[in-house]
Amino acid sequence: MPPRVLLGLICLVLLPFPTGAQPDYSRPVDVAPSEDAIGEGYVTPVVQRPLPLSAARQLLDLALLGAALALSAWIALRRRSRSLGVALTLACLFYFGFYREGCVCPIGSIQNVVLGLAEPAYVVPYFVIGIFVLPLAAALFFGRVFCGGVCPLGAIQEVVLVRPVTVPPRLDRVLGAGKWVYLAAAVGFAVAPLAYRDFVICRFDPFVSFFRFTGTFPMLLFGGLLLGVGLFVGRPYCRWLCPYGALLALASRYAWRSVSITPGRELDCGLCSRACPYGAIDEMRAVRERCLACSRCYGSCPVHRAAAGGPAS
Amino acid sequence: MSGMTRRDVLGHAARGTVLAGLGGMCGFLAVKARGTDAWQLDPGKCVNSRLGALGVDVCESCASECVLGLSAVRAVNELSQCGRCYVCPAYYDVTSAVGPDGLPSEKLCPRDAIERYPIGWADPDDPANNYYEYVIDETLCNGCGRCVMACKEPYGLGSIRLEVRHDLCLDCNRCAISTACPEDAYERLPVS
Repeated sequence: MPPRVLLGLICLVLLPFPTGAQPDYSRPVDVAPSEDAIGEGYVTPVVQRPLPLSAARQLLDLALLGAALALSAWIALRRRSRSLGVALTLACLFYFGFYREGCVCPIGSIQNVVLGLAEPAYVVPYFVIGIFVLPLAAALFFGRVFCGGVCPLGAIQEVVLVRPVTVPPRLDRVLGAGKWVYLAAAVGFAVAPLAYRDFVICRFDPFVSFFRFTGTFPMLLFGGLLLGVGLFVGRPYCRWLCPYGALLALASRYAWRSVSITPGRELDCGLCSRACPYGAIDEMRAVRERCLACSRCYGSCPVHRAAAGGPAS
Repeated sequence: MSGMTRRDVLGHAARGTVLAGLGGMCGFLAVKARGTDAWQLDPGKCVNSRLGALGVDVCESCASECVLGLSAVRAVNELSQCGRCYVCPAYYDVTSAVGPDGLPSEKLCPRDAIERYPIGWADPDDPANNYYEYVIDETLCNGCGRCVMACKEPYGLGSIRLEVRHDLCLDCNRCAISTACPEDAYERLPVS
């Protein structure tokens, strides 16, 4: 095969490269050799190009999110079981947090949705629309069941809360305005001109570094700090920073049903008020906007403890 | 509708309004929505693969900025365009000293992620008279882009480019590489 001999000769001429200096290397061929030119029955191997998450996988994630929301509502509103609530929270922490590595989440999707509404050219995938809207729709019917049972960011704070202290209600109210400020900032950054556009919610997501076991030092510090505070103060991110929590609080105002402490099914003793680390029980009644549907109140209720076979107090 | 208090009616009305609003918003977004988009790298913008950009410093942002331990960006050798050269400028560091076998003594890839083997039988006395396959080991490559910079006109055919591996990419809302990319080569585009 003459072309190959020629090629070899060119290569041989080029071989003695001067030491250390840039050699006068020139390419022996102008076009890629075809399969025929290579001969010997050569077949060009297929280059592997993996595709992103398939539509089926996305549908599965949406279905799991919907199922988890329904389960959370059932546990908090009907079954009233703290231990089942903890089990669901842990399952969601492992699936949506550690396995799916915290993405896509409804909190960050706020900015995509806002940008999709504001800018004609920006497209929000179906998957993200679903992720954004499902927990809000659930809140309209059952309150903040996403926060209590499903959200991995809430779950990681829920598991570190070992010695809850009561935050003075007025301080809680003042700090609670933070989530509205954050929401306004997130909307502002989403609709800002391209040069200033910034997905701040995702950028300053304090816990995603833990889900992925990677992260910059400032973000690990911020997340660690929140978890440190969260040892004593219940869910600081959810109550005072989470912009999606602000939307859910708003939606839960119009909830059809919500977590309720009723004289018929619970005891009017006030133990639940002390058990709630989120200051969501006023005068022995759950406040919809602040209740995160964690079921701790039921866990502390003598009626439910007795029904579960444990000591009544 | 007996047994319904004024409060219930107001509640239903408020809930219905908010639900309708949410539905309308979904409809508005869904009309222009598409199935899936993903972060993708435009090889025409990437300084490592862009024609004409030669001899400039290799940009290693794709390797260093990704939130994953091993970047989701990998070098891919488009084998249908590979010249299969005896001395591949992306495989060998052609500025290194020549070894006893007449080939450059050092490889270019810092992670030794490129494999080189002759296609068919290579004559030991005349190894240059053969084609060689260059395959990048996806499990080793971290997308540093050195081979991409080396394989382009006039030294190579430009068959290697950096690509996002969509199965590894976490599809961050705010892709860390895209923010760091000096050439703005990253865009979220539909996957074909």
